[in-house]
Amino acid sequence: MKPEPPQQIFDFGVQQERTSLAWERTSIAMMTAGVILTRYAAGDARSVFVLIGLLQVATGGAILLWTAWHYEELHAPLRDGTGITHPNAVRTVGVATLWFSTATFILATLFTLSRW
Amino acid sequence: MPVDPGSGVRKKRAQLARPGEGLLPPDPRKVGEEPDYRFTLANERTFLAWIRTALALSAGGLGALHLIPDPYSSALIGITLLGFSVATAATSYRRWALNETSMRLGRPLPKSKLPQVMAVSTTVIALLAAILFALDK
Repeated sequence: MKPEPPQQIFDFGVQQERTSLAWERTSIAMMTAGVILTRYAAGDARSVFVLIGLLQVATGGAILLWTAWHYEELHAPLRDGTGITHPNAVRTVGVATLWFSTATFILATLFTLSRW
Repeated sequence: MPVDPGSGVRKKRAQLARPGEGLLPPDPRKVGEEPDYRFTLANERTFLAWIRTALALSAGGLGALHLIPDPYSSALIGITLLGFSVATAATSYRRWALNETSMRLGRPLPKSKLPQVMAVSTTVIALLAAILFALDK
């Protein structure tokens, strides 16, 4: 059954929508960085890094899907005034980004050393 | 609504979350009270902006390696940018958790030198890259 629309304004500054858009931009940036890594690694014929690049694109897609679901999910706690902090999502994205950045750094170092 | 702080040891550890602690500080929900949701979401957006900065630096580093013709210059600029990307990504969760903990405890937000360091370094690197690119070196 479709939930009833809210009867009163519960988010005056449209904070939730702005945050949701920030998550979307981040997921698009993650996918773009993944495509660049994949292209770069493919040119250098390092298949492990091609897979890592593709995994980064998939991670960006997963974040985008989660964002859409989470936007809906957050309505109830915002109307109730209950807690909305979710460290697991933040921690997952932070660790994933660190992992992909480190992989890119290692690939670039290997590539540079092989050119010298 | 604050989450149950749990055992005494974990609560104390969370209360001691300060700059200088590791890269993965404890769950901020274990201390203090839930702040205004606008502050929580603003902190989340700031975290995401840092993540996007890390991803942009990563893409920029690979771009420098690909576009700057001279191998030494491209390696210097590209790997430096990628190093900044790793540093930014490594500290992003920590900064979010420490900010969230401070807001929950009503403390001032922790200071960080990273924004100044990033701004100056990235500007210098971008100028250097532009000059090398213009000279076709």
